[in-house]
Amino acid sequence: MTNIKMDFEHRQAGHCESGVTSNLLNYHKLKISEPMVFGIGAGLFFSYLPFLKMQNAPVTSFRVWPGMVFDRSTRSLGVKTKIHKFKDQKASMEMLDKVLADGLPVGLQVGTFHLPFFPPEYRMHYNMHNMVVYGKEGDMYMVSDTVVEKPALISYDDLLRVRFAKGPFSPAGRMYYPCSVPHTIEIQPLIVKGIKKTAYNMVGIPFSLVGVKGIRYLAGRMRKWQKLYGDEKASYYLGQVLRMEEEVGTAGAGFRFIYGAFLKEAGIVLKHDGISEAAIEMGINANRWRDFSYLGSRNCKKRAKPEESYDMLADILLDCADKEEKIFKKLSGIKL
Amino acid sequence: MKQPDPQNKQAEPGPDQELIYTNNRELFYHFDPEKKEYEQRVGYQHSANQVIIKQSWDVVEERLNEVKEQVIRGELSPIAWYMEKNLMEVPMLAEYTGFWKRTVRKHLTPKGFHKLDGKSLNKYATIFNVSTHQLQTPEF
Repeated sequence: MTNIKMDFEHRQAGHCESGVTSNLLNYHKLKISEPMVFGIGAGLFFSYLPFLKMQNAPVTSFRVWPGMVFDRSTRSLGVKTKIHKFKDQKASMEMLDKVLADGLPVGLQVGTFHLPFFPPEYRMHYNMHNMVVYGKEGDMYMVSDTVVEKPALISYDDLLRVRFAKGPFSPAGRMYYPCSVPHTIEIQPLIVKGIKKTAYNMVGIPFSLVGVKGIRYLAGRMRKWQKLYGDEKASYYLGQVLRMEEEVGTAGAGFRFIYGAFLKEAGIVLKHDGISEAAIEMGINANRWRDFSYLGSRNCKKRAKPEESYDMLADILLDCADKEEKIFKKLSGIKL
Repeated sequence: MKQPDPQNKQAEPGPDQELIYTNNRELFYHFDPEKKEYEQRVGYQHSANQVIIKQSWDVVEERLNEVKEQVIRGELSPIAWYMEKNLMEVPMLAEYTGFWKRTVRKHLTPKGFHKLDGKSLNKYATIFNVSTHQLQTPEF
């Protein structure tokens, strides 16, 4: 196969999936920012699932199911996409080569444990990472990964390995790419639709472990951790919440900053004061989440006694829950 | 007991704290409440967040040390150590090898490990990215 290199612009992003989507659409001459993709794709969420354990701690999540942001945002925008999954590993690489030869950059779902260019501190078995392949030279593929500062290269064997990583949410060679993009898009109604979807997810679902109710439930549980599990385990449980909130791919504060940036942009596009106000409130709320994680991290130092009380941390969570409830109740009623 | 008012408790940024990880700069979003503006900045992960990343690696390291002792005492096979080193658990290793979970569990015992044939040893070695010699005599 001949060498291929597309004129793909590598841009870092806060969240891998929204960033990849934004960069792919950008290649197809559809200028859309990362927060806009995240907002239209209704990516923001909260869920606390104590009956599911990941790395021996309850699962906390600050966003929707992986893959949904790409699916929802492209469908909403009227972009035609193709998504493939594979059983046969070789077939997956042949398909990748074929699409590259057609001149289309491809989004890939990969596991991060064996990703050679990834920062070592993030190399855990996380199978929902996304990146773009936009070229090939001999045996090496050119990769744009929104976490990493510069474009990277990865060998055929390594790429095969990360595309077929095993474990929970295994990617099974999943590849996706836009193939045709509409010339004109009326974005205003899509923004409103995205906002309403997120508002419903956050304040409309009558189930106590998700949305604003989920944040309050987590706060209630957190007060009991020390008594129930002792210092060490409480600290680990708290750490797990914070890792989900602040670690790679959230852009900080569990996607609250990125969502606020979306509201800001939405307020300008729609010339809507209510949304612009909500953007500011979301920013203040995101800063509270950040306080929560900075203060909470003091309880997560090795062999240290907890420095901050879990009650105080839970109070910050309740404060965030109140703020988000107010914001999303207001947003669920917006009219153009 | 009176709780401190969460409204007043704020986290000060701690730039003076030492960073643990400086391999890669990432993009983060921020909100300036005075200017009411969002901005994107490229930088290292905040020191407070690096603490929580390190916490999970500390837990990994502690577990790895425990398993190492068990391997040295002859209670577990080297596969158990390599599994831990690769942050895997039995179900994941079973998926990678194609063995049943209970077969993998058998290989974690020294007795089961010694019965392994060359082909199976090779399979494990490839997954852990080591030679079969290294697999049999791990360098802790």
